[in-house]
Amino acid sequence: MNRLNTVKSILWALVSVGIVLAITRFISGLGVVTDLSDDVPWGLWIVFDVMGGVALAAGGFVIAATVYIFHLDKYKPIVRPAVLTAFLGYNAVGIGLMFDLGIPWRIWHAMIYWQHHSVLFEVAWCVMLYLTVLALEFAPVVFEHKWLQHPLLQTIHRMLKWATIPLVIAGIVLSTLHQSSLGSLFLIMPHRLHALWYSPLLPLLFFVTAIGLGLMMVTLESFFSTWLFNHKPKQHLLAGLGKAASIVLFLYVALRLIDLTVRGQIGLLFDPSWQSMLFTFEIMVSALIPAILLSFASLRARSDVLLACSIMVVFGMVLYRFDVGLIAIQKLPGSVYFPTWIEIMISASLVSGAALVYIFCAENFKLFIDEDHAEAAQDKIKYSAPVFDAVSNVYLGDSFRKNVLVFSTISILVVGITAALLPGTAFSGYRALDAPVQEARGLDILTIDGNRSNEFVRFDHKDHAKRLSDMLGAKEGCIKCHHANLPKDGVSSCSSCHSDMYNTTSIFNHESHVEKMKGNKSCVQCHPADQSKSKVTVKRCTTCHQELFKNIENSKENNYAARSYFEAMHALCIPCHTEHKTNGHHADLDQCKTCHTNPPSDPMAPINILLIDKTQE
Amino acid sequence: MKGILTDVTKCIGCGDCVKACSKRNGLPAIPQKDYRSRDGLSGERYTSVLHIKKDDQTSFVRKQCRHCLKPACASACIVGALQTTPEGAVIYDKKKCIGCRYCMMACPFGIPRYEWKSPVPYIQKCTLCYEQIKDDGSPACTSECRQQATIFGDRDELLKIAKQRIADNPDGYINKVFGEKEVGGTSVLYISNVPLEFLAWKPDIGDKPLPDLTWAALSKVPPVALGMAGVMAGTYWIIERRMKLANGEESELKETELKETDNE
Repeated sequence: MNRLNTVKSILWALVSVGIVLAITRFISGLGVVTDLSDDVPWGLWIVFDVMGGVALAAGGFVIAATVYIFHLDKYKPIVRPAVLTAFLGYNAVGIGLMFDLGIPWRIWHAMIYWQHHSVLFEVAWCVMLYLTVLALEFAPVVFEHKWLQHPLLQTIHRMLKWATIPLVIAGIVLSTLHQSSLGSLFLIMPHRLHALWYSPLLPLLFFVTAIGLGLMMVTLESFFSTWLFNHKPKQHLLAGLGKAASIVLFLYVALRLIDLTVRGQIGLLFDPSWQSMLFTFEIMVSALIPAILLSFASLRARSDVLLACSIMVVFGMVLYRFDVGLIAIQKLPGSVYFPTWIEIMISASLVSGAALVYIFCAENFKLFIDEDHAEAAQDKIKYSAPVFDAVSNVYLGDSFRKNVLVFSTISILVVGITAALLPGTAFSGYRALDAPVQEARGLDILTIDGNRSNEFVRFDHKDHAKRLSDMLGAKEGCIKCHHANLPKDGVSSCSSCHSDMYNTTSIFNHESHVEKMKGNKSCVQCHPADQSKSKVTVKRCTTCHQELFKNIENSKENNYAARSYFEAMHALCIPCHTEHKTNGHHADLDQCKTCHTNPPSDPMAPINILLIDKTQE
Repeated sequence: MKGILTDVTKCIGCGDCVKACSKRNGLPAIPQKDYRSRDGLSGERYTSVLHIKKDDQTSFVRKQCRHCLKPACASACIVGALQTTPEGAVIYDKKKCIGCRYCMMACPFGIPRYEWKSPVPYIQKCTLCYEQIKDDGSPACTSECRQQATIFGDRDELLKIAKQRIADNPDGYINKVFGEKEVGGTSVLYISNVPLEFLAWKPDIGDKPLPDLTWAALSKVPPVALGMAGVMAGTYWIIERRMKLANGEESELKETELKETDNE
């Protein structure tokens, strides 16, 4: 299989994954497929698909301005790919939004309910209009196709060509507005965005970075298509783009630093915090290093330097969007957002879909108007050789048919695999699953991270199961921890019962009793009316629940008590350690540091999991 | 202009306000377990009572929508689903909402919550019981509060009451009415003996209304658009003319050639 077909196969596979996941997202809702929460309402789909996508598509207006407004005709060969990339990029943004919006079928509301104080309103209109402009800008290329030579279509073609300059100007204006407005989105949240990124200049910074990123994205894309289609590299053109990018990037770095200084936040740069490190890394990769490298004529003439710089800028500028929209946004302490694989794969398949359409256009339209390439296209013989399967020698038809066969096979396989990999909740959504109670199938004693705190302990599942089912019955006993599970809800943490550090705690659920007995009026059913309400004066559980402790011989009501957290966590380790210590094997076996091998400054830090596993031998 | 005054020193944390609120707004009595909701607010809770421990003493602070006079959420909303009313309540029209969640990002108090579990999710937040207060009723939470720790009334009068209480007992309160000036003022006011900065994302959110920050940029859109269009058209025209002039000095034959290449 040649290079182009390999790439296409991978892209088709990714698109197929996306189709399955897209169905999941719409059936079960955002909460199931994403890691978003009230705390982090905007995630990967906004920062990458929308903010990143719009920025990556900036090449369209930058190159159009260069060629049509500034009359730098030597860049004409890259106008068409740049405009196409922009068009596909904005389409991807639009489709990406469909996944992210809670109620995407209402997206047209943005057109009828006007709220001109909202930045989002302006972005929406600009993106809509610009998408139209881009379609009209690219349409002449489509009309060149030999199937579309009807006189009426050709009239439209001529009209569009005539309108090129007004369209280009409209495109530049719309791009200026919404590229900067994506930065303005965050002006309203000085309370959430870290001071290193929050600035009244955000709109300007987003606009300037869009130009720099647009130039370098066109460069990177040019490298990609040269590699993919075995074209001659357009080195002289790319070097020119590099020079322009260098100037823009220097301007950007200066703006960022001046802005920090004027706002009096420059000191934050020298704070030993992860934010200052992130800021430094971002500025270095996205702008400073590429700008310096590209400022030397000898360096930017080399294709390896140009490629490295374009990768750095594209990565760095997308990182800038990630920082502003997600990473540097304040969250509640302990709250973590990391995109789920479903989020990542849907984003990846959007990009793949756009790439496939790009390849389709490159193959069917005159996308590259290099002279040598044009000649090559004319010389191409309209004949595709018959293809035979390498193993079975079966005739697969001509190469077009073969491709259809190969790609659809890949798609079907991938769809199947993805569907198999989906979590059980993907289609049931957030509804609780009424799973039948089963016998425990695992080991009696497990090593678990009961509180999801990276503190691993040995856990006696058999003992817990027996104790709880004796007390509550087989089903209720299991449900105490394995409650009718909701997605992301897992089993109850250890600390939900063992809640006190050193004292035995009650696991009596007061709230559910209040609820079941219909609130305030029922207090007296358990708490005598003439006495103060407390644990001491309350009636015994067996007053109402005679059946409750019948399974336990020595019916002690303190079965409703959970050991202290400390004791529960150590119960399976300390008895043996103490025993072996008294046997004289290891004198220090019962000391804290034997397991908690951490520095004294942080005694409660996670203990070594390998240590626990050793004890199971 | 109506409002709510919550006196933290009077609250005993019984939670009747939460129950009353859930009942009136048709929210489930016991919310589904959602471990991510740290402050008790969620798609199923408009208000919650936070237990603030300080020096062995627990204070109870009721959290709810502050109903800003110039709300960031309403200015952020792309379709105007969130709106201010003459009564001071910031209300939500679920028929308009498209689910972009910009309001959640914009709110300085982190109030709007989302129905993450639903395939057709809406924003959920306190509406100050707008349906009732526009008919001279009062919100469920204040009418159920037997301690009178949270009271409903005219915002100006509530401010007066708040200041009077602080003046009567200067040692019992922090000398500040929380919500009088923050982000341009809020309809829901607090007086307290413990600092209430934790109710916002940042301790110092300033007195400037947040929508002004956006408007500073957004109001420049028309001039920027016109300016950019003018500059681009001008540049095009000038360069085009210069090139024509430069070519015009050469033979006409060349000019026709140029036109041909243009047409390509």
